[in-house]
Amino acid sequence: MRKLLFITFAIICSASLFSQTKTEEEAKEFFWGKEDKYKTANTIPNEWKNESAIIIYKNENYDFHKYGKRVTYKTSIRKRIKLLDNAAVKEFSEFSFVKRFNTNKGRYTWKKKGDNVVGVKIIKPNGDEVIIDVTKDAVEEKGETKVAIPNLEIGDIIDYFFYKVEPFKSTTPFTFKAVETTLAEEYPILDFKLYFETENDFFVNFKSFNGAPELKEIITDKNNFRRYSLESSNIEKREGARWSYPLLEMPCYKFQVYFARRSYYEDDILGFLSEKEKIIKTEVSQDEVLDLYKARFSSKAKISDIKGFLKDKTFSSEEEKVKAAYYYMRHHYLTRFIEAYIVKQADIVYYPYEYYETKAISIQNRNRFIRYFTAFLKRQKISYDIVIAKKRYDGTINDLLIEDNVNLVLKVKTSTPIYLDLFSPHTSINEFPALLEGTQAYLLETEKGKIESINKETLPISTYKDNVSHKSLTLELNDSFSKINVNSLNKYKGHLKKEIQYDKMIYSDYVHEDYKKYETIQFIDLVKKKKLKAKYSKEIDALIKKYKERIKESLIKSAKQEYSVSKISNYDYDIKSTGRYGLDSYFSYRESYAIEDQFIKKAGPNYIIEIGKFIGGQIEIKENQKNRSENINMAYARTFNYDIKLQIPEGYTVNGLDKLNKSVDNITGSFISTAVLDGETLVIKTKKEYKSTYVPSKNWSLMVKFIEEAYQFTNEKILLKKK
Amino acid sequence: MNYISIPNLLVMTKKIIYISFAIFVFQFSFSQKKAAPIEEDITLAKELKEQFPKDHIALVRSADYLSFGYDKKNNKVTVDHNLEETLINLDSRSDIQLYTFYDGQSKITNFNVKYRTQKEMYIYPKDEAYTSNDLFHNDSRVKYLSLDFPLLGYKYHTTINKKYLDVKYLTKLYFNGSYPIINKTIKVEVPVWLNLELKEMNFEGFSIEKTVETNSKTNFKTYTYTLNDIPAMYKEKNAPGPTYIYPHVLILAKSFTYNDITSNLFNNTQDLYNWYVSLTNALENDNSVIKNKVIELTKTAKTDQEKIKNIYYWVQDNIRYIAFEDGIAGFKPDEASSVFNKRYGDCKGMANLTKQMLIEAGYDARLTWIGTKRIAYDYSIPSLSVDNHMICTLFKDGKTIYLDGTEKFNAFGEYADRIQGKQVLIENGEDYIIKTVPNSNAGFNKEITDYEFSITGEKIVGKASKKYQGESRSSLLYYLNSIKNDKKENFLEYYLNNGDGNIKVNNINTSNLENRESDIDFSYDITLNSAISSFDNIYYIDLDFDKEFSGYNFEDRNTDYVLTSKKHIESKTTLKIPEGYTASELPQNISFKNDNYDLSVQFKKGDNSIVYTKKFVINNSKINKQDFEDWNSFNSKLNKLYKEQIILTKQ
Repeated sequence: MRKLLFITFAIICSASLFSQTKTEEEAKEFFWGKEDKYKTANTIPNEWKNESAIIIYKNENYDFHKYGKRVTYKTSIRKRIKLLDNAAVKEFSEFSFVKRFNTNKGRYTWKKKGDNVVGVKIIKPNGDEVIIDVTKDAVEEKGETKVAIPNLEIGDIIDYFFYKVEPFKSTTPFTFKAVETTLAEEYPILDFKLYFETENDFFVNFKSFNGAPELKEIITDKNNFRRYSLESSNIEKREGARWSYPLLEMPCYKFQVYFARRSYYEDDILGFLSEKEKIIKTEVSQDEVLDLYKARFSSKAKISDIKGFLKDKTFSSEEEKVKAAYYYMRHHYLTRFIEAYIVKQADIVYYPYEYYETKAISIQNRNRFIRYFTAFLKRQKISYDIVIAKKRYDGTINDLLIEDNVNLVLKVKTSTPIYLDLFSPHTSINEFPALLEGTQAYLLETEKGKIESINKETLPISTYKDNVSHKSLTLELNDSFSKINVNSLNKYKGHLKKEIQYDKMIYSDYVHEDYKKYETIQFIDLVKKKKLKAKYSKEIDALIKKYKERIKESLIKSAKQEYSVSKISNYDYDIKSTGRYGLDSYFSYRESYAIEDQFIKKAGPNYIIEIGKFIGGQIEIKENQKNRSENINMAYARTFNYDIKLQIPEGYTVNGLDKLNKSVDNITGSFISTAVLDGETLVIKTKKEYKSTYVPSKNWSLMVKFIEEAYQFTNEKILLKKK
Repeated sequence: MNYISIPNLLVMTKKIIYISFAIFVFQFSFSQKKAAPIEEDITLAKELKEQFPKDHIALVRSADYLSFGYDKKNNKVTVDHNLEETLINLDSRSDIQLYTFYDGQSKITNFNVKYRTQKEMYIYPKDEAYTSNDLFHNDSRVKYLSLDFPLLGYKYHTTINKKYLDVKYLTKLYFNGSYPIINKTIKVEVPVWLNLELKEMNFEGFSIEKTVETNSKTNFKTYTYTLNDIPAMYKEKNAPGPTYIYPHVLILAKSFTYNDITSNLFNNTQDLYNWYVSLTNALENDNSVIKNKVIELTKTAKTDQEKIKNIYYWVQDNIRYIAFEDGIAGFKPDEASSVFNKRYGDCKGMANLTKQMLIEAGYDARLTWIGTKRIAYDYSIPSLSVDNHMICTLFKDGKTIYLDGTEKFNAFGEYADRIQGKQVLIENGEDYIIKTVPNSNAGFNKEITDYEFSITGEKIVGKASKKYQGESRSSLLYYLNSIKNDKKENFLEYYLNNGDGNIKVNNINTSNLENRESDIDFSYDITLNSAISSFDNIYYIDLDFDKEFSGYNFEDRNTDYVLTSKKHIESKTTLKIPEGYTASELPQNISFKNDNYDLSVQFKKGDNSIVYTKKFVINNSKINKQDFEDWNSFNSKLNKLYKEQIILTKQ
């Protein structure tokens, strides 16, 4: 079912049916009226006749109008699509949308509502046109209108529009949601037109990338009214390739619009505004970045807690002090509240925060983090910069256009600089989003807590030696060769660690180490009343027990998935180290289980073991994926290591080690494996390295080599030969 | 209630689907605990956990109480269904949703939760439309609330009162539920003015106690059924419909007397038919809009059968399945003209359009009610729970042919397994006709595979051919036709190599993949890149990459395993032995045969080849629970065989 710009939470209101009807008429005229040049556009090019559907015409419109503080924001889209198979007919045979909705923009009002209008018509192969009555066959369900499109068949053209009118009042400046999208979509597009209409007080940032056509101004006779268009044609469908960032590779456009009624409001907007409304902003200069952020960050905060923590402590260097302060703050402003959050969520304690000091503060947003941490740095007279960076999937900092794309990181200028990001429960020093690593970023340079200048630098980047997983497996066959007992120690560091930490630990696995480290007390000890404490304690224990059961189920599932096995038994696990103090410290856990009826094949008196499967599922490159024009972009470089030890059963010898020795090593990555017999133990070591985050498409064939070598390893077997 | 036309859609699924928790984020309620569990309950919970280790919650008590009333204004017999339950937590902690469904024919008059101490909880259920992926729209709604059980042995008492505005929509009560029940009672208080039969279904093998008390003062007859220690309904895939498995009581309201006038409800099948016909008689059947299409479809057809086929296939191909099950629309077919114009409808709409088009073309076609295989009953039971589907029956030259527009790519005269052997209720004016849809045998659905392999280097190369007939054909055609044009080729490769990157498939030739009447034939070249393991000049070959039924082990299963259709799979693999090699001893042949199964795997050594044949015939489209022992024993041999390698040694 097509969900048309789905807007959550809408209340159906019949008060202004009139406006709805008026909007319907207006929308219909706008798209399908006398001026419609695509009314008879029915033909499709021959080269696309084997597609599922073809968009003959796609038209998007963004209109920004105002009268004083009243804004009318209209967005609309029309698609005229030739349906060429059953899948396409099914795709477009049902629509759902919300008719009327409360705007989330500007000043709150329950009176004024936005309207969504949908129009659908079908053009039969003989040219007959049928306009669908979207109210007749519609049903209302959970605030949504659902329409089943009648009389839709293969070969038909469906021509539909979605027209949204959103009026709101705003005396203060307002930033509209940014749009960043490729021209291409699921189906090929024959003709695409995007129109923009703005008036004074609306500021537009708009830029085309990667060869997409530029936005062009359409001359109008009004001084305060501007119209722009972007037109393109014959756009091939978008096909998602692995490790591809579409906004870097494909023609795309990005825009954001701001509304600022008075010139002094313009400075209040957190965005890069053009000098005048009539100028479309396409670039953001270094100075503009400085101007925007200069006065945005405060370094004033009460940090007596940190002072208390640091008191009487000595540090070997400033770095050590900053690190200690960071981890302390992570505990003081975050992890010491986790239990309270959990018991509140579990409804064990109605208001657990009452047990904390009255003015307890938790830090869960970046600005507050920067304020508190820079307050500390300022007090310690440690200089710092605020890093303005942009994630790699979205272009470089030089392409900065939309403020939402900015990521903030703190750079502490100790002798070896330290980079700090807002903490989550496991965030370490020098850990910031991998997608920012190695990018060029702006540094807002500060002096005495004030931003004074701006500069550029390339952010440090982690290597495949920093982001590492290491699995040590010990395998033992049972006497009847029906089971393989697995004992596995799994270690992760760098960016490979975070997700695993969240997947494998529950809160009680790590909060206590912070209590111990900082000599603070756990939630239950904050409760003084004995009776309550006993009650809460029991319920918390019960909750943890349940969490443990659930996480065990999830761990069993993920072990099954990792080795594609259907049955494992006797699963057990324990967390060895949490890896929460340092990006290069390992998170590790041990697990043991038995794999039943898999990976062992009988060959007369001998057995074949599919030993290659123990490095987990490897990527298979299909024939049609071997040629590639998109560059390869990955989140981070990384290494996966396996050490596999197989005890050779008594009375057997092992054969076939030669095929387990593989080696492909090139600039893009490597897969290297070795297998040796150490006494009665087969020792296999494998290493798969993705050496960089970016590989140009011309080097794809090099990547394919080591990826295929790893895939081939999974096919390798050994023979256990009866002596 | 209401009609279902998607195969294997179980009415109960709506209840099962609804409860979905994120793994680590419980859906917490906002209650404040008032009553910690007492020792006795903790002990009970521990005992129950031993009895029902897979369950998190049990019902200490569950009591259904039905009483009846008369709605004079609408001349309907109404039912008050009172359900009182006591829930106990068997785990350290549990978080569940308590829910109840209602629709246009029923309402929830009370939804109440109390703590163990009988203190009110004052928690109000949420109420929202129940949406299902299979139905575009239905009038079902759900009231639900979240309950947390913070400790082992924690208890709640719940009461849900539901009122049925018309007795015919309450068709049955089950003893089993979502949780195991220690003590279940179903109490039905039948007033003297109501003629109601309680039909006891699947009671055999369960120690259900029944008492009947007549109270001459109140003129009530009270039936009480009691059953203890009942497991939860099994959450098993491919299980038969619940009416086959669980004991239940069918509520058959036959007639009632008011002011000395006796009115029939569903006294017998005729009454059920009369009600159905009263709905279909209300159809206008204005066929003017379908006339031209019927002419177009029949004008060049040379025979009657061709004309009928053209119409039937047109409905299959052009009417999309979209169901609105709102109120009476759950039972009354949409007008043929409306379905025709919209090009969509549910099973009833498609049946009615098929009928009207055939009538328009001059044939004798009738609407036909049927309960698919999910329902255990036949038309000896006058109840709305007997059927869930509608098709069209054609009487032609003394033959009866059933046409099911929802079965896309089903050839004329072929019937989907889900309706085979099931009774049909065919309209016949004031009367009705009961017939049975013929059964086809497993051989009708043949899937035949032939591989001719030889060894090149360390790869197996060769040619393959596959043939699909009957339902194996129609289901594959349906699937292939739902795939996007530009993805079809890749999909076919993926389908033929079982998604295994080590198997390369090239030069695929296919029969016409839009023709539902002829077999599907595939022929192609195939290379198995990793089927051979070679050690010391000995080839160890895993010849079989299909390994049919390898995962069909039913050791922990409680219910029959229902297949989508009867199976007849034959596969022959010939491997040419390379010159200079001999085959060592081959794995032992295995077979198992009885009335329902004919399963065998054989190896034969030829002069310079090995011939590996498999035959799997399952006649009843299910693997019966009572056969599990034999089945599992064969399956274990089969899996052992699948793991055995063919060994070729250099001479």
